[in-house]
Amino acid sequence: MRGFERHQDGSISAKIDRDEALLLQSLASQLATLLQSPDDGDPAVIRLLPDAYPDDADASAEFRRFTQDGLVERKLHNATLVTTTLSAAVDSGELSLNPGETLAWMKALTDIRLTLASRLGIEREDDRSADIVLQDLYDWLGFVQNSLVEVLDS
Amino acid sequence: MPQTIESTDTRQRESIDVPWVTIVLNDPVNLMSYVAWVFRSYFGYAAAEAERLMLQVHLTGQAVVATGGREEMERHVEAMHDFGLWATLGKADA
Repeated sequence: MRGFERHQDGSISAKIDRDEALLLQSLASQLATLLQSPDDGDPAVIRLLPDAYPDDADASAEFRRFTQDGLVERKLHNATLVTTTLSAAVDSGELSLNPGETLAWMKALTDIRLTLASRLGIEREDDRSADIVLQDLYDWLGFVQNSLVEVLDS
Repeated sequence: MPQTIESTDTRQRESIDVPWVTIVLNDPVNLMSYVAWVFRSYFGYAAAEAERLMLQVHLTGQAVVATGGREEMERHVEAMHDFGLWATLGKADA
């Protein structure tokens, strides 16, 4: 995959290899699985749905009661849009996103990177995982996301 | 129980007088370009102000990105969690 390009109708597109499309689909589906039954003790879940009131457990629980279901639903929807938009790209090699899908991609990529960072134990910006394959994947996801931001700014 | 009533009054007055803030905290994952983009696209900050707030988060560990009533700040914090940013609420005087 190289960077995204922007078109006059507001959509964006990128060339994407079949392997890359399948990999992103797999990551989006793993994120969806994590969100379908969120384990409150999982560090990745805690990072995706953090406490709103760091010094007030009751207020944080109350905030969670009102917001968590909606947040999880929207995050799941974003992950699903990543999977469905990639379905056509797996064969065509061309990923095309309208503005709504672009926003879903931006957020889902963030959630995937947060989850992966939690699994890799990345706690500081210069932390590198001993798992070279996953570290490369994490860096590549950062490249894809930065390309999305750049094309929206262009 | 006059004391209880008085303390309730004080708490209500405080909650009206002292505004709440939305705080975004630094994390090692989110790209600087993405954080600045969220500040521009969600809060509507101009590019220079979004960049300044992003750098403040990055360099000092956190930044106040909005100030106002509690319900409004809760909506902002929820939106930040939607974007995957680490955000909390606090009192402006804390």
